[in-house]
Amino acid sequence: MIGDRESMMSAALRFNVMHFMPYVHLPENHKEYKSTWVSFPNKYYDPHKGLDLYNQYLSQLVLADKLGYDAVVVNEHHNTVYSMMACPSLIAAALIPQTTNTKICVWGTPPNFMLPNRLAEEYAMLDVMSKGRLEVAFPLGTGMEYWSNPVNPATARERFRESLKIILQAWTEDGPTTHYGQYYTYRFLNPWPRPFQRPHPPCYIVGTGSPETIEIAAEYGFGYASVFVTQQRAAELNENLRQRAASYGNTLRPDQFPLQTWVYVAETQEQAEREFIGHFQRFFEDFARTSPQFLAPPGYLSVEQLKIRAAMADKMHGGFDFDAISKSFFIAVGTPEKVANQLGEWSIKMKTNHFNNVMHVADMPHWKTVKNLTLFAEEVMPRLRSRSTPSYRMAAE
Amino acid sequence: MIKFERETYVINGVKTAVFTAGHGEPVVFFHGASTMEGFEFCQSWAERHRVIVPHHPGFGESDDDPSLTDLHDYVLHYLELFDTLRLDRFTLVGLSLGGYLAAKFASEHGHRVKKLALIAPAGMIDPQHPMVDVLAVPGEQVPGLLVSNIEVIKKFLPENPDLDFMADRYREATTVARLLWEHPGDPKFMRYLHRIKMPTMIVWGDEDKLIPVGQTEMWRKFIPNADIKIFKGAGHLVHLEKPEAVEAMSNFIV
Repeated sequence: MIGDRESMMSAALRFNVMHFMPYVHLPENHKEYKSTWVSFPNKYYDPHKGLDLYNQYLSQLVLADKLGYDAVVVNEHHNTVYSMMACPSLIAAALIPQTTNTKICVWGTPPNFMLPNRLAEEYAMLDVMSKGRLEVAFPLGTGMEYWSNPVNPATARERFRESLKIILQAWTEDGPTTHYGQYYTYRFLNPWPRPFQRPHPPCYIVGTGSPETIEIAAEYGFGYASVFVTQQRAAELNENLRQRAASYGNTLRPDQFPLQTWVYVAETQEQAEREFIGHFQRFFEDFARTSPQFLAPPGYLSVEQLKIRAAMADKMHGGFDFDAISKSFFIAVGTPEKVANQLGEWSIKMKTNHFNNVMHVADMPHWKTVKNLTLFAEEVMPRLRSRSTPSYRMAAE
Repeated sequence: MIKFERETYVINGVKTAVFTAGHGEPVVFFHGASTMEGFEFCQSWAERHRVIVPHHPGFGESDDDPSLTDLHDYVLHYLELFDTLRLDRFTLVGLSLGGYLAAKFASEHGHRVKKLALIAPAGMIDPQHPMVDVLAVPGEQVPGLLVSNIEVIKKFLPENPDLDFMADRYREATTVARLLWEHPGDPKFMRYLHRIKMPTMIVWGDEDKLIPVGQTEMWRKFIPNADIKIFKGAGHLVHLEKPEAVEAMSNFIV
């Protein structure tokens, strides 16, 4: 039933804290490596330092719950300093007993790297254990993950579609059911437990806006959690998705278009930039450093998409330029007032009420992250929530 | 030189480009995992033979068919193409991945292959002399693996970064990934190699950086009658680096 309550709920602003949990102790010679993904030697991982980082990062997400953030978001990557979450469901399981209100978003495990029934079961467990606080997202997985996992990138998109179908069948149809597909055969698809939320936790597709992933989200009526997209591309992506979803008879709510931002709040503009930019630069130059080969294993992209992306990559060549990057991505750095204004503006432009904020970046120390989380919660969230601007209602329509 | 004529055939739904030149006893050439270096080397054969060079599905000027997921699908594709071309019996020459395919075809359908010539064929699982997993090699490093003398391959490469050239290679690598990503080697291939009884020649460069020349020992074991010729100072594309290699094959296929 689509009534006032739902549109009001949609209109309420939502603030996530998205964490990558990077391994920050890069060796001094790391620049000798073209990529900090896939082939970056794991001898540089020190489990003792890893332990401290896990504890620190988990405490930041627990703090986010206490500060009133609506959701914490974790995701999956392999063979990289970029993220220590090879199994994000384990992080979610660790967070559940330490948090009370916040949604736990596993955005998420690429279904291609799991048996689909196992993923359906794992998410159902988390949903039950968290009393229905789980949200999930289904990524295809970056190109890098296909060098790290034994799955053929050339058939990844077909396999992804089949996995998704199995997971949703497992959640929405009373078992046992059967599935006879190209990649999987289930004679008894009958997973225990079933999700706490009926019919299943809210679902998103994760991607960078390829036509293939947009089509899947459109068809299922899922949200789309875009990552690493420019403002221009995000706007096009959201518009494409709205149109494609409509062609399947699906109308998406504003909160199904989470807007990925990088946010840093400090006492003054100057201080915010001074405290943030170095970490952000290292994020771009070091933690996200990978090669064209790793980004696009054979068959991962269509030839058309490969050409589009290669042309885009050519344009982005050159050194780190914070002002240029700030203009093309969603980056809000400054005083509470400035950050609030910036987010408010984007919500109107992007027709969304859902902010997926990255608030720890690269080697940002604990104190900055805690300060950022706290200032945003205490100074920015109330500013935005108190503004009953018509724009938010418009966004909800 | 006799020019190649291009024709296309639709084989079970896949548009297949076939280049033909000359008259006489038919010789079919199977290209390797890339079409970038062309097939000019076998043009001289057209003076005495009908030379037939098809582009495999997913390569060059043939269309894609994502439903072809293993090398055996290609064997069946070629059975149909050869029937369409009314090629009953012919000499088969294969380079690298095309050599793997040619040997597989010959081990299954020996009665149709009069003679078999393999140029640095892939397909052998040789733990002592493993093939480089070319799918894991960055594109810019691949040309260096193909030849001993880089000048030989330069004329096939764009001078400046070229999006279309890169896209063509990506498309062909995608086809290779469909076939070989999960299982680069198939033990069953070697299981049936002993069925190759027709006259067979194998040519190899002793400086092959992609498939080590040491693999010739295993080929000798499986096909004891094969005439194996090793050319000094040549890399993987031995037929481009050493005219003698082409000459040896020319004499063999007569």
